[in-house]
Amino acid sequence: MRRAGVVFLTLLLLAGLVLAQGFGDKPPVEMAPVGALQVKAGGSKNVSLDFRIGSEYHINSHTPRSPLLIPTVLKLSGPEQVTVADLKYPAGQDLTLPFSPDEKLSVYSGDFTVDAVVKTAANLPAGTYPISGMLRFQACDHSACYPPRSIPVRFQITVVK
Amino acid sequence: MKRNALVFVALLVAILAMLASGKYLDRARKHGPMKLVGDVQGVPAPDFTLPSLDGRKVTLSDFRGKAVLLNFWATWCPPCKVEMPWFEDLQKQYGQDGLIVLGVAMDDSAPATIAKFASALGVNYPVLLGTDKVSDDYGDVQYLPTTFYIGRDGTIVDKMTGLLDRKDIENAVRKTLNTTYKPASVPVNQADVNVKQAVAAKVNPAKDANR
Repeated sequence: MRRAGVVFLTLLLLAGLVLAQGFGDKPPVEMAPVGALQVKAGGSKNVSLDFRIGSEYHINSHTPRSPLLIPTVLKLSGPEQVTVADLKYPAGQDLTLPFSPDEKLSVYSGDFTVDAVVKTAANLPAGTYPISGMLRFQACDHSACYPPRSIPVRFQITVVK
Repeated sequence: MKRNALVFVALLVAILAMLASGKYLDRARKHGPMKLVGDVQGVPAPDFTLPSLDGRKVTLSDFRGKAVLLNFWATWCPPCKVEMPWFEDLQKQYGQDGLIVLGVAMDDSAPATIAKFASALGVNYPVLLGTDKVSDDYGDVQYLPTTFYIGRDGTIVDKMTGLLDRKDIENAVRKTLNTTYKPASVPVNQADVNVKQAVAAKVNPAKDANR
């Protein structure tokens, strides 16, 4: 009984620590996991990268209307003989904030997808290859803005003969 | 048995404290409260010396005896643009009463770009080029705009985050102007005072014009 109490308290203590340290560190944008991708050596594969923006935020689109606003940019790279090309960003949604009715912003909110094409060299041995990079964005909410931030983007591609 | 009870209580208190701090940190990080009063009220404003857009060095403590509105902003922050013309108006309105507005640009843009941006908004108060150290000293200023209202004695009267109503800002300015400053009774080098007054006059020419 006494041991159970100690275990219970220890668990509570750990939960408290986790909550105290980790609460709120969630970035405004998160990436959805990418499913299995298979491609023949020498071939190419379209990949859709899905991102979710926290409900209280918006981020600038890839083509904000002012050069001072920081665009959303995805940068990806893979091992030699694997290239990631033809990045296609969605068009931004128009947003006018109540405090600035004359200014139209081009933003993403909710979910958005960036499409890319992964190309592999013909002599690439079969196997699984990691592709990684960063999504850089700058988020705001209805009354304030956060500094630009990057989140890691990672997925794998399996090359078959 | 008594010892076990004490350990139990101590652990329970520790857990509750951590849960409470976790919840507080979460709220603070998400910047739920639009107006953070209490946390920093009465705390001495960290001193700094920062370069201004016109190439001078501006030291916060040079304005002891003045009410300082210290606004952190960035060119990529649309809500910041709304407040800045208000600050300019307030500087003109209350400058003769001892208000000093200082903008701190937390920006990676070139100084010329920041200057052009501020000028387009009609800003004439000093804009300083912020650093990570100053941001850290002021509690890691991540959420822009963030404005500190610093009393004449150099302590923080209020801190406001996010875009607020102009009325709230003006109320905070008035509250800050109502603070008092009693210089230390030790003899002061008059030359030092003259230098500080000269710096203040340079930074706030509107004040001199109103004299």
